[in-house]
Amino acid sequence: MTPHGQMLLEVRDLVVSYPARGSAGKPLAAVRSVSLNIENGSIFGLVGESGSGKSSLAHAIIQLTPYRSGQVLFRGQDLASLKKPQLGAARRQMQFVFQDSLAALSPRRSIEQTLLEPLNHFRVGAPASRAKKAAAALETVELDADMLHRYPQELSGGQRQRVALARALVTEPELIIADEPLSSLDAPVQARIVDLMLKLRAELGIAFLFVSHDLSTVRRLADKVGVMYLGKIVESGKTESLFQQPAHPYTKSLLAAVPVADPAHPAPSVLTGEPPSPLTPPAGCVFHMRCPEKMERCPSIEPIEVAVGKQYGAPENERELKTAGHRVRCHLWDDTK
Amino acid sequence: MNKPVLSVRQLSVTHRLSGRVVNVLDQVSFDLHQGEILALVGQSGSGKTKTAESILGLLPPDRWDISAQAIELNGSDLAALPESGLRKIRGRSISMIFQEPLTALDPVFTVGNQLCSVFTRHRGQRRREAQTSAQAALGRVGFPDPGHVMRRYPHQLSGGMRQRVMIAMAMACRPSILIADEPTTALDVTTQAQVLDQLVQLGQKDGVSLLLITHDLGIVAQYCDRALVMLDGKIVEQASVEELFANPRHVYTKALLNSAAGAKPK
Ligand SMILES: Nc1ncnc2c1ncn2[C@@H]1O[C@H](COP(=O)(O)OP(=O)(O)O)[C@@H](O)[C@H]1O
Ligand SMILES: Nc1ncnc2c1ncn2[C@@H]1O[C@H](COP(=O)(O)OP(=O)(O)O)[C@@H](O)[C@H]1O
Ligand code: SF4
Ligand SMILES: [Mg+2]
Ligand SMILES: [Mg+2]
Repeated sequence: MTPHGQMLLEVRDLVVSYPARGSAGKPLAAVRSVSLNIENGSIFGLVGESGSGKSSLAHAIIQLTPYRSGQVLFRGQDLASLKKPQLGAARRQMQFVFQDSLAALSPRRSIEQTLLEPLNHFRVGAPASRAKKAAAALETVELDADMLHRYPQELSGGQRQRVALARALVTEPELIIADEPLSSLDAPVQARIVDLMLKLRAELGIAFLFVSHDLSTVRRLADKVGVMYLGKIVESGKTESLFQQPAHPYTKSLLAAVPVADPAHPAPSVLTGEPPSPLTPPAGCVFHMRCPEKMERCPSIEPIEVAVGKQYGAPENERELKTAGHRVRCHLWDDTK
Repeated sequence: MNKPVLSVRQLSVTHRLSGRVVNVLDQVSFDLHQGEILALVGQSGSGKTKTAESILGLLPPDRWDISAQAIELNGSDLAALPESGLRKIRGRSISMIFQEPLTALDPVFTVGNQLCSVFTRHRGQRRREAQTSAQAALGRVGFPDPGHVMRRYPHQLSGGMRQRVMIAMAMACRPSILIADEPTTALDVTTQAQVLDQLVQLGQKDGVSLLLITHDLGIVAQYCDRALVMLDGKIVEQASVEELFANPRHVYTKALLNSAAGAKPK
């Protein structure tokens, strides 16, 4: 695994739109031309308010939801062009963990059966070796072997989410896509599962697309972050660059809304209003209706994506290192100002 | 400090199921003062919801045993009242809002319909008057176009909008106490800030005392005056928020604060 090796996952200009409901309805554009890259063994955090299109994007990447245009390349292969056997092989390398593990795990299957299912489906190894693999996966997520014969509904939320992770990693995938896998769990349980994911990345080199609306978890976990608003990624970059120097007014509002566990810290600030409906997306900048820094051209001209780096006063070489890859869609940063 | 509006003394609750008895609350005592925001913190399963439910008389007596030395509301002892009078007082003076408002709202009626019926039932208003009150109540929780919200069904609203409708309904009874059980756990940070801001403002304007149940120490630090820390059905520490963060005494509180310090966006 080389640091600048081949891209594991490349998403290019992806558009997901749901068909109109009823005769008078309009199609709903949930993902509007999103591009992102995930390198080998790296963790990409996707954040944004609910309804911003995170799940639609994640589902489209694993070909669970059709997309209208754009491409999903896994190891350089366009998934839409793959025939059945190759698609199956790619799927084995790309596993999914859902938000609600109780709904995602069958109540009639024991944990062992749950873990054997993907192994049988993808015919991983000799049938006789599969039980051993299942037990090993359970050990990797730090659950006792006696769990194998229990059922999902007998486990706690944290244990179930570990089982869901074990099921995702039992086929030894290169990428796990996890859609809000922690949001139903308690803070201490969340922290342990975050540690577990970091361990899986370090020991097995598994890359993650981690979808979440929890900024502090994403900060701990991700190497790169994308901030989504109304179907678009409005800012992306290395985690520390983005958290320390948020460039987009929406990212700044998100960070400022988090209550900090210190009474001396300034109070959270309130971003008023709600995101507009994706049925009637606004012209110009997607965020202009709520933006505290809105300018005259924002409601009419849509900002293009530009690099953030050049605006900082730091010397060229330092600035490049720190903000490399930090990109934003906002007129405050483009040259039209 | 203002006088207590709610005093709970030695509240213990046990759960019975097929011969098994589980102690869920163990001698819980605290005061909620006029106009304050009191946090009840602890991890899930520690007994926060059961504390609220036992005060409100929501636990079915066939499976739950509740004993208390006293539960005083505005000076009168609830434990001494017959069940019927109890329910009336509790319904009028204490309102509660929940984590998932969708379960508390009726899916087949519009928001306006449900809100109006609170004003007709609890405040004895006529239909026309209730309409006006309902619009005003929605305006007060920050809806710029209350008429539009009145015509919606609960599932047509976002989570944040539903929670603000719940606050409007809870406040419609003019309670002196509002219990909010993890009201923002299911919401985005931006929506959470809007909803908590609403709660704090309403509390200040109407002098409502707020018992805010949460597991988020950020919320405790930023929005509350005092805090109760709960562990395994017991209150292990209570202090002003400044004191709690500067000088945590119980080992559990210290552990909580440490884990929050590790998680916060620096
Ligand atoms: N199956 C579907 N049919 C129609 N609209 C959908 C469907 N799934 C999601 N949407 C809509 O697409 C938008 C994005 O939703 P989603 O991808 O679930 O966002 P997130 O995961 O960020 O909350 C929302 O407006 C949602 O209502
Ligand atoms: N319906 C129930 N039946 C039996 N025990 C219950 C029930 N609900 C809660 N409990 C017990 O009561 C304890 C406290 O629950 P609860 O007040 O809901 O905790 P919290 O709100 O702090 O998460 C739990 O640990 C659980 O053991
Ligand atoms: S383009 Fe304009 S409205 Fe959009 S985020 Fe930037 S300043 Fe705000
Ligand atoms: Mg989602
Ligand atoms: Mg609870």
